[in-house]
Amino acid sequence: MLFDEIATVVANQKLGPGLYLMTLKAPRCALEVQPGQFVHMMISTNPSHVLRRPFSVYAADARTELIDVLYQVVGGGTFEMTKWQEGTRTAIVAPVGRGWKPPYNARRALLVGGGVGAAPLYMLCDQLLDKGADVDVVLGAATGECLVCLDRYFDLRKPGLRVLHTTDDGSAGAEGFCTDLAEDALALAARTGKRYDYVAACGPEPMMRIAAGLAKLYGIPCEVSLERRMACGIGACLSCVVDTVDGKKRACVDGPVFDIRELPW
Amino acid sequence: MVNMNVNLGGLFMKNPVTTASGTFAAGMEFADFVNVGDLGAVTTKGVSLHGWEGNESPRIAETPSGMLNSIGLQNPGVEHLKDVELPWLAEQGARIIVNVSGHSIEEYREVIYALEDTPADAYEVNVSCPNVDAGGMTMGCDPTMVAKVVGTCRSATLKPLIVKLTPNVTDITEIAKAAVDAGADALSLINTLLGMAIDAHTRRPKLARVVGGLSGPAVKPVALRMVWECYKATSVPILGMGGIANADDAVEFMLAGATAVAVGTANFTNPHASIQVARGIERYCREQGVEDVNELIGGLVC
Repeated sequence: MLFDEIATVVANQKLGPGLYLMTLKAPRCALEVQPGQFVHMMISTNPSHVLRRPFSVYAADARTELIDVLYQVVGGGTFEMTKWQEGTRTAIVAPVGRGWKPPYNARRALLVGGGVGAAPLYMLCDQLLDKGADVDVVLGAATGECLVCLDRYFDLRKPGLRVLHTTDDGSAGAEGFCTDLAEDALALAARTGKRYDYVAACGPEPMMRIAAGLAKLYGIPCEVSLERRMACGIGACLSCVVDTVDGKKRACVDGPVFDIRELPW
Repeated sequence: MVNMNVNLGGLFMKNPVTTASGTFAAGMEFADFVNVGDLGAVTTKGVSLHGWEGNESPRIAETPSGMLNSIGLQNPGVEHLKDVELPWLAEQGARIIVNVSGHSIEEYREVIYALEDTPADAYEVNVSCPNVDAGGMTMGCDPTMVAKVVGTCRSATLKPLIVKLTPNVTDITEIAKAAVDAGADALSLINTLLGMAIDAHTRRPKLARVVGGLSGPAVKPVALRMVWECYKATSVPILGMGGIANADDAVEFMLAGATAVAVGTANFTNPHASIQVARGIERYCREQGVEDVNELIGGLVC
C-alpha cells in the first residue's frame, strides 16, 4: 500500500560535485521500504515545480525512523533541494515500485553500480549479506570525488563482502569503467567454478546494458533499475513507460527494477 | 448543510468535482489516496477501440508552474476497460465519465456502442488531444468536423454526451456552438495547450515528439477565459478545467460559468488533490453562506 507521508529534513550535505545526501525523518517509509523501491518527493518549497521527483532510498532505519536519499543536481528541482535546511518539511509518496528480487537462495551476487547508481544497491547488498550470501560490489564513477558511496559500503563490514572500484580518470581505484571489473569478476568466477547466481546493476543505461549483456553471456539471472521521467509516480499517467518484451510497462510501479529477460536488450 | 449536487447535462454528480482524463487512469492507482466514490465522478483515461501504443519517450517535461505531456493516448482498448476498470469503479460507487477517443468518426461510434451496456454514466468525446496524428485535436479545430463527430456520437447513445474542446483554436466559442448544435449535452474545457520545450545545452527537444500539451497552474488564466467565453456563448453546462489545484481555483471556474470542474495535473503533485478540492468547495460555501453550490455557477461579478 502506498501512502503520502510528511517527511522532515534532518541533514542535507554535499558529498561530491553536484552530489548530495539528504537524511529525512519518515517513520512509516523507514519501516516499510524495501531495497530498490523509491520515494516520490514533492519540491515543497517551490510550487512552480508541479511534479515530484523520484529518488531511490539509499538506506532506511526503522528504529531511528530515518531514510537516506542520494541525489545529483540535474535541474531546477534538485537545485532547489540543495537549499533545504534541517527542519524543512516535504511530502513523499512511498514506498513506490517493484524493488530488487534476487533468487531466494542466492549464494553469490555481483552488484554493479555506476555513479549515483551505487545508492539503490546498498540496501540490497546489506540484505544479501544478512542472508549469508557472498557479495561482490563493483562501483564506478567519473572521478574519485564522485565515488561518494564507497566508504559506506566498506563500513558495512560484514563477512562475505568485497568492494572494488574504478574511476574513468584513474583518480581512485582502477582506471576504467566498473563494467570492466564486472567482466573480469564474471570471467574469473566462471574459470574457478565459483559462479555468481545473481547480478544487479544500476547506473547510466549504457552501463546497465553492458552489465546485462555480460550476465546473459554467463547465463546468470540479472536485474537492472531503470530511470525515467515521471509525473504521477503511482502508475496512472503513463509518462515513464519502458519498452519490454510484453509491450510498454511503467517504470514507476511495474519497475523500476526489471529482470533483463523482460527487456528487449 | 450545503447542497453540493450538480447536474452536468444529465449527469447527476454528488459534488462538482471530477478528474481530468489521463491524469487519474481509471482511479485504481489512486485507491490508496482517494475513495473514488466520494468524488462527483471519475473521468477515465481516453479509450480507443483496440488500444494504442502511445508515443516514444520522453513523454513529459516540467515547465514553470506546469508540464508538457505527449503520452499519445496509450490505452489497452475498450474491452479491457469494460472487463477490469468499469466493474471496479461501479463497485466503488463512482459516477463514471468515459473519455472516448478515435482515429476516425467510426471509431468514436464503435467505442460508444461497446460501452452502452456498461456502468459508464456519461461520455466525454475527445476531439482535443494534441498528441495524436489522427482524431483528437485534428478533428477538434474544425467546426464542421466537430459537428460530424458529435452528431455521430449523439445518434449512438442517449447517455449524457460531453464534448471536450481544445484551446488551440482562434475562437473556441465557434467550436463550442458547433458541438452544442450537433447534440452535446455539456462541454468540457480546456484540453492542453500545444507547446514545446528545448534543452539549450543539448539543443534537443525535451519531448521525443518535440511538441506536447501544456497543463498545470500555468494554463489556468487561459482556461478561465475560455470557460467564461463558452458560458456566455452557449446554454449547456460546462465542465471546467485547466490548472485547478485547490478549492479557490475550482470556485473561480464555477464563477466563470462552470457547472463542474476537473482536477488534472494537481493529481500528480498531490494524489489527494481531487477529494481535497471537493471538500474545499463545500467549506468555501459554508464560510460564504452559500447554501447551494449551483449559486456559484456564472456568479462572476463584473
